[in-house]
Amino acid sequence: MRPADVAALAVESLRLHRLRTAMSGVAVAIGITAVLALTGLGDAAKRYVVDRFSAMGANLATISPGKTETSGSLMAGGWGGRDVTLDDAEAVRVQVPELRAVVPISLGSAAFRYQDRRRDVYVVGVTADYTGLQNLHVMRGRFLPPGDMYAGGSVVVVGPKLAREVFGGEDPVGRMVRIAQRRFRVIGVLEPKGRALGFDYDELALVPVATGLRMFDQTNLHHLMVQASDPGAMPGAIARVKAVLIRRHRAEDFTVVTQDALLRSFRAILDALTAGLAAIAAISVAVAGIGIMNVMLVSVSERIAEVGLLKAIGAEPRQIASLFLTEALLLSGLGGLAGVAVGAAALLVGARIWPNVPLAPSGRWMLASLALALVAGGAFGLAPARRAARLPAAEALRGKR
Amino acid sequence: MSAAPGLAPAPTAHRAPETASDPIRLEDVSRVYRLGESEVRALDHVTLRIARAEFVAVMGPSGSGKSTLLQVLGCLDSPTSGRYVLDGTPVEHMSEARLADVRRREIGFVFQSYHLVPRMTAARNVELPLIIAGVAPAARRRRVRDALAALGLASRADHRPDQLSGGERQRVAIARAMILEPSILLADEPTGNLDTRTGDEILAVIEGLHRGGLTIVLVTHDPRIAARAERLLDMQDGRIVGERRLKETHA
Repeated sequence: MRPADVAALAVESLRLHRLRTAMSGVAVAIGITAVLALTGLGDAAKRYVVDRFSAMGANLATISPGKTETSGSLMAGGWGGRDVTLDDAEAVRVQVPELRAVVPISLGSAAFRYQDRRRDVYVVGVTADYTGLQNLHVMRGRFLPPGDMYAGGSVVVVGPKLAREVFGGEDPVGRMVRIAQRRFRVIGVLEPKGRALGFDYDELALVPVATGLRMFDQTNLHHLMVQASDPGAMPGAIARVKAVLIRRHRAEDFTVVTQDALLRSFRAILDALTAGLAAIAAISVAVAGIGIMNVMLVSVSERIAEVGLLKAIGAEPRQIASLFLTEALLLSGLGGLAGVAVGAAALLVGARIWPNVPLAPSGRWMLASLALALVAGGAFGLAPARRAARLPAAEALRGKR
Repeated sequence: MSAAPGLAPAPTAHRAPETASDPIRLEDVSRVYRLGESEVRALDHVTLRIARAEFVAVMGPSGSGKSTLLQVLGCLDSPTSGRYVLDGTPVEHMSEARLADVRRREIGFVFQSYHLVPRMTAARNVELPLIIAGVAPAARRRRVRDALAALGLASRADHRPDQLSGGERQRVAIARAMILEPSILLADEPTGNLDTRTGDEILAVIEGLHRGGLTIVLVTHDPRIAARAERLLDMQDGRIVGERRLKETHA
């Protein structure tokens, strides 16, 4: 039999029972729509995270005090070793020439007052290079002055949300404020950047790191950010940084996390999430497959005499099986195509309704879900097809099994 | 060996060599069905030879084994014991696929209930064996058109079975049986559902095919129909209990 003839015969018999065909096709379509919608959500989550990461600069690594065995954790836990100090940062800056920037970062929270207005803020101590590392831009005024990381002026750069809430309509640049009882001059306002990894940049108060440490009576940096000049220099630079710190600490009591590693583990987590969602949705495809099996079994028992006739005119068992299997594959394939169309349309509509969520149908998942539909049709169509192929010819002709 | 091959010698007699030219040879064939506890012996030690281009009618009461005989001859059913040699080849050890091949090339079936596929037009029904045999579409169309025309069905090609009369349906079924040019036509009560006049028409068609050289085995209840054959077998309880030669085998 020619494949085109097999397909034509299968279409002819499916058309005989339009309602039945349509219903089992719809069941497959619903399953496939679910697969596409859920994987679309998973992909959107991944894209969101990856976008946030790439909003930061490239070739970054953070060095945090304390050693954690699990890589990829943002907050290095434990407190077994020595502090990572400003002196450590300066040593790294001087001794690792592959680094374009070394930014020591301190963190504390304090009350931010202007006239009678007060707000609790995170006070982040940084240096001038921080803008380059985090792709921050100053909207008004200027950023912290470049120079020695030990220099600690009483100047502050504020996030746009903080500026709006505390200063209202006034221009904050040049105003004097109090942070944790110290007087600071506002020298700049950041452009809006929004949240990244649970941190709202628009609410921060940025001060020179030496000032930040002094304000909170700290010697230990929250972390140290370093940036290599290019991706190729990264592994060597990290090794040098480690060597410098180990020499100074006499132990590896700190944790280095590269942005790449972090991104990789986020990707892995979100890929697993997406796969999990796909698996849940695949259950509905399996249910639809059982529907196909049911329809095909009914079809076989309705057409026992026809199977007998096919045998009488010389059809081989293999040919009879392929006829019924093709019907099952057509059912699931058509349902799958409909599901792909509806699922992709749903994602596109969703992207219109929620512009912040990066929803988009992925060709990979559309192909995968279509393949899933065909696999379900094939797997659940196999038993009815074999049953038809194995009917004894003589009994089948009498319409009996 | 054109003259009266007749019934094969008794099983005790010496067996004919494999090279004998009778296309159909049954030797001591039994077919036993199991129905729960009991056994039904549908064919009971049947020995039979049918010559090339012979027209044999089989008569007998319901349940006498006529249909089973026809199904064994047509390789739709296999003997429980005994030997069936078709065109010099024993069929008992053939695979399903091989048997299908034999049915496709050698055998045409016609049934009392026509067995047309209801959703297909007359032309499509006739085309079905060609599709199974993998014949190219252009050749199929030509052969179907010719076959329908030969049976006076040219104007009925696009009608579905429920739009055809009984006689037309049986002629479509004959066209389908003949489309792959088999050497043997097996007809199971082909006139059983037809009135006398239409039945005669169908029989005339079958006789025409026989004159063209086809071997025909026809099962019937109707003595009038059976009388048209060259040889008549009487069956009872799975056995051939009587045999009459009505005329010399032509060809």
